[in-house]
This record gives sequence, C-alpha cells and structure tokens, in this order.
Amino acid sequence: MAAYGSRVDPAAIRRRDSPRRWLTRERIAPFVSGAALLCLWEFYVRINLPSFVATPSGIVMAIPSTVASVSFWSAALASLGSIIEGVAIGTVSGILIGVAMGRVREVNWFLSTYIRALYALPLIALVPLVIIWVGYQPAARLTIVVISAFLPVAVTTADGTRAISKEYLDVGRIFGAKTHHVWFGIALPTALPHIVAGIEMGFARGITNAIAVEVLASIEGMGMSVFEKSAQLNENASLVYVLALAIFAVGIRSLMIRSRQRLAPWYSR
Amino acid sequence: MFDRLLVGERLTTAVRTESFGRRVERVRSAWASQIRVACYASSIVLLLGVWQVLGRSFGILFVPFTTTMERLWEMLYGGPLLPALAVSGKLYGVTLGISIVLGVSVGLVLARMKLIAAAFEPYIYVLYATPTISLVPFVSVTFGFEFWSRVLVAVLISIFPILLGVMEGARSIPRQHLDVAAIFGSSEGQLWRDVIVPYIVPYAMTGIKQSIALAMAGTLVAEFFLNPDGVAAVLLQGTTMIDSASVLAVTVFVAALAVVLVSIGDLIERRLVRWRRTAVG
Repeated sequence: MAAYGSRVDPAAIRRRDSPRRWLTRERIAPFVSGAALLCLWEFYVRINLPSFVATPSGIVMAIPSTVASVSFWSAALASLGSIIEGVAIGTVSGILIGVAMGRVREVNWFLSTYIRALYALPLIALVPLVIIWVGYQPAARLTIVVISAFLPVAVTTADGTRAISKEYLDVGRIFGAKTHHVWFGIALPTALPHIVAGIEMGFARGITNAIAVEVLASIEGMGMSVFEKSAQLNENASLVYVLALAIFAVGIRSLMIRSRQRLAPWYSR
Repeated sequence: MFDRLLVGERLTTAVRTESFGRRVERVRSAWASQIRVACYASSIVLLLGVWQVLGRSFGILFVPFTTTMERLWEMLYGGPLLPALAVSGKLYGVTLGISIVLGVSVGLVLARMKLIAAAFEPYIYVLYATPTISLVPFVSVTFGFEFWSRVLVAVLISIFPILLGVMEGARSIPRQHLDVAAIFGSSEGQLWRDVIVPYIVPYAMTGIKQSIALAMAGTLVAEFFLNPDGVAAVLLQGTTMIDSASVLAVTVFVAALAVVLVSIGDLIERRLVRWRRTAVG
C-alpha cells in the first residue's frame, strides 16, 4: 500500500508518461492470474475429482466437436433468436409505454403500481405461471424474455423522459411543437442513454430468464443443452455452451456500450 | 368601479381565448391530488375487476381473484407456505449477509491494491456477464445439492452490485481528500476510518439496495435448480399439477414480499444519500 501523495517519484511519472512503456505490470497481470487460475483448476480437478468434471484442457478439446455439431447451432438459433426477438418486442412496447408514463402524469399514476411491483419481483418467480398459461413451448420462453426486456426499458424510459429540463420544453413550445414533437422529438432523444441502459439490462435479464424457462419447461435451447450435457456427464461439452452464452452476453454488453457512446456521446459513464 | 369592470372584462376575454390545452392543464394542477388518488384507485379496481371476470370464464387455467386469495389463506394457515418461507428466508438471509461482507471486503481490497485489481477484474466481469443459472450444473457436481452450494449459487447472483459499487467508490475518492489526510500525517488506520470508509458507504449502500432484490432472485434460482426446496418447490409442485390457484397465490405473495424488500432498500439508501449530500456538498 503506497502512501498517497506523500512523496512524488519522478521515475514513476516518467514511466507513466513515456509512450513506449505499454507493457506495464498492470497489462501483464491479467494474463499471469488467468494462467494461474487455469492451472489451479486443471490440477485441482485432476488430482481430487472424478474424470468427468470439466477441466480447461478438456474444454478446449471439446470445442471443435461441439461447435461442428448440428445440435449446437440449432440450440443457439433457438435460444438467441428468441432472446433477440423478445428483447426487440419488449423494447418497442417498453419505449411506448415508458414515454406515455414519463410525459402524462395520469398514465404514470395508473400504471406505476404494477410496473414497479413487477420490476421489483424476480421474474424467475413468474416462470411457473407463464408455463401454466402458455404451456411447455418455446412461446413460454419468448413471453418471459418480452417481459424481462419490457420492464427495465419502460422504467428507464419513464424516468428519462420525465426528467427533461424545462428550457427544452419552453423552446419547443415557442417553436410551436405539437405533443408528438415533444414526445418523440424532445423527450425520447433526451432519454436515449437511459433507454440504452434499459435495453442492456433487458438483455442481461432476458438471457438469464430464457435459460431458466428452457430448463424448467424442457424447451430446446442453449440452457437446456447445458443441463442435458452435464446430466450425461459430458461436462466439457456443457461448458462450451456456457462459454458461448458468456461470449454472447459480453458481446451484447459491449455493443450496447458502444451504441450508447455513438448515440449519446455527451453522456459519459 | 370603472377600473374593476375593465379588469373583469379583460379576465373574461382571457378565459374565453384560453386554449383547450391550457384549460386541461389548469384543471390538472387544481385537482392534482384527487386525480392521483383516483388513478391509483381506478387502476387497482380495474385490475381486480378484470381478473375476477376473466377468472370466471377461463376455468382452471386462470382462477378469479377471490379464489386466489382464499387459496393463499389456506396455504398460509396450516399449509405448506410458512415452512417453505422459513427455508427460503434462511437461505435469503445467509446469502445477503455473505454478499455484503464478502462484497465490501473484496471490493475494498481490489480497489486499494492496483495490481491485484488489474489481475482479477477482467475475470470478475466475465463471471458477472455469464448467466449464473448455466453454472448451476457445475456447482452441483462439484459441491453437491446441499445448503452451502445453494448459498454459493445465490451469492454468485447477488454479490456483484456490492462488489463493483465498492470498487467504483474507492476508485473515485478525490485525490485531494487523500492528500489532505497525508498532509496532516494520518496513519493508514486513520486514513481508512476518516476518509475511505465514510466515502464508500453510499456506494456500498447503492449496491446493497440492488443486492436486496437480487438475493431474492438468487434464492429462487438456487431453489429451483438444485433439488427444488422452499418457495420454489411449492411453485414447481403447483406447476406440475396445473394448480393455477396455488401458483397465482404464491406468485402474488412473492411479488408483495419483493415490493416490501425493495422499499426497505430504497428507504435505507435515501437516508444515506441525504447524508452524503450534506457531507460532501
């Protein structure tokens, strides 16, 4: 623990400022720790646990055969397609309801009780109900994903469109803005960063809840495959599916961050 | 007299030329609180009415509101719900406690030790992004189906807001605060007590607020996927028997519980945020 600001080390400043020093300790550290974690995992499993438990080397070996299989791609298509479709539906409906809630107080008072209650509820608790109503079908997954995306988008859109500064509205009124101009010309662009954050949250919850529905209702997809392969004691292949899900989740996340920077560059964070 | 008449005349013309929108706005601001109460009341009445009417015509898939409440009463008194709630409540409490203790301490360590943070941060984010449900089979194979592996799954879901919040808070301590502390010659212990911990508390509370809700999701996930137990077992049993009254009753109950827990979190956070505003300015 270095002392804070007690002494200025000129060498440290030079090190930090010189452009050629890109190979710093902080840059190397993740690779060292990653290698250490993987080695620890590999040897711990090999020494202590039965051979079907996944190891890093086993996962790497399982990647080609799993990715080349038809079942992998049909599972990915089913899950990810349903997630993207559901988030799209949830986003559009969430934005419409959210803008109405943000701009019209009465709509907000009318709907907020239910939207806030559903937003507080862990949606996995809704899965049994949806299974009863929709049946043990892919439509159940779609329903849950739509709800998972709708709620955060509606809440963030409502919060974002409510908090418009009065100057914008006054300028809009001076130039004769109609209601739909205020809604979709002023409120929506102002709320854009909030909405993107809502969509990001919707994707994160949608992925998790889609997997939950698949496992609980035995619907074909990535989550089902993870549990199935694991039950067949084929853990390495199972973890390849988890890896694919993680890559999808991280990819969506970075896409959202990038699009927020593109759409709303004034909004830092 | 003449003056007053003139003013009155002007007022009436003003009222007459007032646009429809303005008039609506005037009514809205004059009756705001009444309209508000009316909106809340009508939304609740409407939902319950629609529920009741639909429930009567849908048969066993969607029972009316009154039947649901009766079932909830039966399940609470002498039914399976209270023992299940005790099981789930224990898991929830342990999960939240471990998340808070572990999240705050690990977050502080990572925030104050640059090298360790650089080494492990990427992996924390990958673990955060990975849907925890997909890790359940590996937890069950490695650690079994017992209480502590449930706790592990639930903690993996609920710890991240606290962990990442504390890390962000510790990282954003203004340089000047640390410099002033150093100028006045405070020791490491004093620095933590007087600068770092007070600065981090609001960040930690924001994380804890989110974790209060997430720990509930974590509890349910752990109970759904590692040998059904507690509230999740009651829900699953209702699902397999297509007993929509039980499932609806438990879902409504869980939703009410979630609202209460989230409100408690909001309350705590609001108190602390107010404190931060006065302290930091």
